[in-house]
Amino acid sequence: MVVVGAGLSGLNAALILERWGFEVDVVEAKTRVGGRLWTLDHLPGSPEGGGNVMGAQYGRVVHMAHHLDIALRTPPRTLPSDYLIGDERISRDSWASAAANPLPEAWRTIPPQRLMGKLNETNPLLKTRAWHDPNLMASDQSAEVGLKALGFPNAAIELINANNSYGNNLSDTSLMALYRIMGEFGRLSGPALAVQEAILGNMRLPEAMAKQLSRPVSLGEPVVAIRHSPSRVQVALASGKTLEADAAILALPLPALEQIEINLSAAQTTLLKQIDYHKVVQLHCIVEAPFWEAAGWSGSWWTDGLLGRIFTRPIPNTSRYNMTVWINGDHCDPLNALDEAACTQTITQALWQLVPEARDVTSVGQLVRWSIDPYAGGVWALWRPGQAGTAHGAIRAPTGRLFFAGEHTAEAYRGMEGAMESGERAALEIMRVLA
Amino acid sequence: MRLWARAVYLSAVQLGLLSASLQAAPLNGEQLYDVACNACHSLGTAPDRRVGPALSGLLNRQAGTIDGYQFSEALSASGWIWRLPTLLAWLTDPDAAIPNNAMNYVNPLTAEETQRLSEWLLRQP
Ligand SMILES: Cc1cc2nc3c(=O)[nH]c(=O)nc-3n(C[C@H](O)[C@H](O)[C@H](O)COP(=O)(O)OP(=O)(O)OC[C@H]3O[C@@H](n4cnc5c(N)ncnc54)[C@H](O)[C@@H]3O)c2cc1C
Ligand code: HEC
Repeated sequence: MVVVGAGLSGLNAALILERWGFEVDVVEAKTRVGGRLWTLDHLPGSPEGGGNVMGAQYGRVVHMAHHLDIALRTPPRTLPSDYLIGDERISRDSWASAAANPLPEAWRTIPPQRLMGKLNETNPLLKTRAWHDPNLMASDQSAEVGLKALGFPNAAIELINANNSYGNNLSDTSLMALYRIMGEFGRLSGPALAVQEAILGNMRLPEAMAKQLSRPVSLGEPVVAIRHSPSRVQVALASGKTLEADAAILALPLPALEQIEINLSAAQTTLLKQIDYHKVVQLHCIVEAPFWEAAGWSGSWWTDGLLGRIFTRPIPNTSRYNMTVWINGDHCDPLNALDEAACTQTITQALWQLVPEARDVTSVGQLVRWSIDPYAGGVWALWRPGQAGTAHGAIRAPTGRLFFAGEHTAEAYRGMEGAMESGERAALEIMRVLA
Repeated sequence: MRLWARAVYLSAVQLGLLSASLQAAPLNGEQLYDVACNACHSLGTAPDRRVGPALSGLLNRQAGTIDGYQFSEALSASGWIWRLPTLLAWLTDPDAAIPNNAMNYVNPLTAEETQRLSEWLLRQP
């Protein structure tokens, strides 16, 4: 077997297949494993440039962590967030009464980050996880149109669009995909809401998984072409080597798969071009002293401007803080068009403008731009209007001896747990035909 | 996984008995359990840290009743008894079987596989 991609999904599939007697080679383009888990070990506090938190319901992730002695903890608390709407500053307690709150009367008490939660008043996916159910596909429409029809005021739609983690813009995102995500949150309550992280960084998990494999992962070996016949698969690497296998699992995000020369089904070839990936730009900073206190801010921010959201949290056992500027969706486009230095400068200028005191005590650690990473192409798959019904099944359908894993192919979960779940399903598909 | 199963399996591989034909023997209950359930459920007796309850001794057990595990209200109040028909219904579509349950699981198994797995699971002590 060849597994392309040493993220959680590929590694989980490889471990299962090895357990059942297959010989597995995992090939990875980067010089590290983990993919979209990327702990920034070179920075104080080792902030996460990729996947952050493990949900309490992440059975596979948490079990794997326990099994491999990866210690988990409740993350240090992120400082509370104030608002910046246009140039108007709103303290966290006065959102409802603030003049700059653009929402109409009945909506004013809902803070911007909770607006999407209103969807759960009508969400059909609170009672069922069947997000492809043909009977529900009336909601597989533009979320912008859908939200308007549900009575969301324009101001609410604009606020959601300012910092939406689940769509580059609402007009191009399926309402059904939002129902799926909000349903997941809506079902959780009490202890189920607790989240965890690996104390030494989430990337320790894929690293430990890779160590369990009897053959080491081939690092720094981008796959450039895959040929397959009814009896064999050939995987060509950029280094000129070719691997022969009985089957291959393609456990990589779709924008990365799109770079590989490969014959897929007609439906898959079309979908590869159509399925959208969410954009995120992050600037990770280290703060020496709580500069926000003198100016009366709380330390984190929700803005409707260039800075998106700013998350600040203490680095345990030090007096310093990790501060991450987190920009979502189409707001990343102008930033992704800049080179690294100009992008960093644009973000820091906006930061110094917001709080001039920050300048003396804040240093820039790492700019993270997932959309322009050729081996990621974005942070996670999005579902466009019309894609909730069948696209998901079609993109992961085995094609000859090619099988598909990855977060975008998961059914019940998303994120890290979705990646693990998808690895199980792909391993199962291979075992069915080859065990 | 039972050690003997693994030993038999590996020696089969070493002897080159596994050809790459696309007609494999149907997966057995143990394999299906390992791939689809084991990460969330143990077959042990002591409470462990998995996200789901232990599934040992499942046959004739009342749903949502083992000590030391916090079930959803829906499962504890269901009154279900785990036997072949109930287990099949649960695995095939948990939301239809017991709405508002806390098992976030969409069955990737075929009907035959679900049957084989369930029969195997209900035989585990
Ligand atoms: C900023 C950010 C925040 C996130 N936050 C969370 C969170 O809080 N909770 C959560 O659950 N999830 C979160 N996620 C999502 C989670 O990290 C991913 O869903 C998961 O890690 C994806 O695993 P995967 O195996 O599907 O893909 P990946 O981890 O992307 O693995 C694919 C691998 O394939 C490799 N590859 C690509 N092209 C090639 C090629 N040509 N040849 C060989 N190898 C190749 C890549 O380098 C990569 O290692 C976040 C992700 C990001 C980016
Ligand atoms: C992602 C984790 C996860 C996976 C995978 C999973 N389960 Fe579960 N399971 C749970 C959780 C959580 C519960 C408790 C549900 C509740 O309280 O409503 C549960 C409950 C159950 C119960 C009820 C037990 C009791 O004591 O009443 C059975 C039976 C069961 N699962 C069988 C299975 C089988 C068989 C598989 C594999 C085909 C499986 N589950 C896969 C998480 C999982």
